[in-house]
Amino acid sequence: MITAALLGNPNVGKTTLYNALTGSNQYVGNWAGVTVEKKEGFIDNKIKIVDLPGIYAMDTYSNEEKVSKEFLQNGNVDVIINIVDASSLDRNLYLTTQLKQFNKPIILVLNMVDVAISKGLDINYKLLSQKLGVKIIPIVASKGTGISDVKKCLLKEDYITTSSNSLKFKDEKEAYAYIEILLKSVTNKKNEDRVSISEKIDKIVLNRIIAYPLFFGCLFLIFMFTFSWVGQPLADFLSSLLNDNFVPFLTKLLANNSPWFSSLLIDGIIGGVGSVVVFLPVILALFLGISFLEDSGYMARAAFIMDKLMRKMGLSGKAFIPLIVGFGCSVPAIMSARTLESDKDRKLTALLVPLMSCNARLPVYALFASVFFHGKETLVVFSLYLMGIGLAFGIGILFKNTLFKKDEEPFIIELPEYKLPEPKSLLIHTWEKGKGFLKKAGTIIFSISVIVWFLSNFNTTGMVDINSSFLAAIGKFINPVFIPLGFASWQNSIALLTGLMAKEVVVGTMGVIYGSNLTHVLPNYFTPLSAFSFLAFVLLYTPCVSVIATMKKEYGNKMAIFSLSYQLVLAWIVSFIIFNVGSIILG
Amino acid sequence: MIIISIYDLKPGDKALIHSVCGDEKFAKRLLALGCIEGTEVTLKATAPLGDPIIINLRGFNLAIRKNDAKNINIKTA
Repeated sequence: MITAALLGNPNVGKTTLYNALTGSNQYVGNWAGVTVEKKEGFIDNKIKIVDLPGIYAMDTYSNEEKVSKEFLQNGNVDVIINIVDASSLDRNLYLTTQLKQFNKPIILVLNMVDVAISKGLDINYKLLSQKLGVKIIPIVASKGTGISDVKKCLLKEDYITTSSNSLKFKDEKEAYAYIEILLKSVTNKKNEDRVSISEKIDKIVLNRIIAYPLFFGCLFLIFMFTFSWVGQPLADFLSSLLNDNFVPFLTKLLANNSPWFSSLLIDGIIGGVGSVVVFLPVILALFLGISFLEDSGYMARAAFIMDKLMRKMGLSGKAFIPLIVGFGCSVPAIMSARTLESDKDRKLTALLVPLMSCNARLPVYALFASVFFHGKETLVVFSLYLMGIGLAFGIGILFKNTLFKKDEEPFIIELPEYKLPEPKSLLIHTWEKGKGFLKKAGTIIFSISVIVWFLSNFNTTGMVDINSSFLAAIGKFINPVFIPLGFASWQNSIALLTGLMAKEVVVGTMGVIYGSNLTHVLPNYFTPLSAFSFLAFVLLYTPCVSVIATMKKEYGNKMAIFSLSYQLVLAWIVSFIIFNVGSIILG
Repeated sequence: MIIISIYDLKPGDKALIHSVCGDEKFAKRLLALGCIEGTEVTLKATAPLGDPIIINLRGFNLAIRKNDAKNINIKTA
């Protein structure tokens, strides 16, 4: 099989070309050690195309560049497909001159030749091909023009192989001087630049008064689409289909089997499947929205207008979006952190996302607020949300100056031309995200669900109720940890343990072990102060297993363990301060 | 010839790049983008909150922070 490496600047249509060449025949993974996506696709099982990250050069010290360089050197690459923006050749060809250093045949794909022509640019392909010693194919990827030429060229192995390499320069200045002379000899520019449509749109989008309302409007639409209109309702529908139709059916079918077997099937396995499946529609809906912002070119503008604020917590402007999504659900939020520019931004954002109070925590707040803070419910819940945001700022600054100090990336963002996103690209990207989640995170969530089911239904004597299960034993064992926080009781410990499944489960577990009427029972176990301390703990402690599984899938074991432990420590410290300082103040 | 930085330009102003200094990564990236001596640069706009700014060179727009802009020296055209 022939291996082709696909390279190019960001925003030149690389992904469109890649999708057009490989169709749905592609696999997404990670490059070892970094949070850079590795995409491989195939043409007729004869050619493997590896889509390398979009870069401007090979030598400016980014992870994306290191990955690309390493692959070009050691990945048995037969041919390089270098896609360039025909209407912005000088900058694009700079990368080409660096690719020439690898001594591989290059197919130079000139994309957006239609735009170049409309700008009055006339390119002599033949001369350019001769001078650079590369094969040249003009295309318009968005319209599908010329794609078959690229395919044919790859299948026929119709490349130009030159051994001589005259394109060695001592610095950027010399390289650009060469490119400028080259372009003068092979292109002909007729008319001057006009004001482009993008420029007109930017006048509105970046306008002092309109910019923020427009941005928040976009976010609101995506948030509603994901959590109110489409994603969440679909998830609820799926889960009710499972719980109201399939489970009763299965219960009936299993009526004559032993109770542990039907519990394994219904509570363990179906329950586990259920906790995976409910995330899927939410993830798909969110990524449809985010891919739209990304592909249209708006995302770069969002990063631009939010930079001043987000910089304070050590992040770039784009990180605002995952954080906001975190208020809905941390799982898609952590996945969407992958759209950020640098490794440091992606990791830091993923670590901060769980501090945004997600939907699943609301039922816990609601219960406690109504029992202990009657009449002040809104204030209490609001203060918890604010606490999360405040801590995100604090922790962001702390991590930025300690853990990520070495990884600081310069802020240089290209604001690409606006374009209408292509439905095919949107769908492929969205589906990829869903598939990745099911395959990687889904299996972990499922297995942990089954384990927790086992722990909460069994002890050494066999099947028992939760009060005497393994889980209860663990709860009793860890209970002393909560004494300084004011809410130590083995029942609470068990509730917090089961809360690892999903935070709303805390309420359900309490219902089971305290007996049903929580409103009357809870005041025997909590004071308003220890209740608030408990709520702060629920807000901050280890996110649910789905978040941990997603973290592991996206960023690896180390990050997952770190995220889990730092949040436990943080939750303990904050609850400790609340309870003890509160006790002193309240006397 | 007076050398000032992009930081001192106003929206709409044009100038020629003289040199890029400051952080190595930052300088190297801008050089790779063709921000080299003699290149024409325009300050396009500032963000609604005054920072970052948009500069245009070689036909494309880049957003950079004001603090970094101080490190891009220019010769006024």
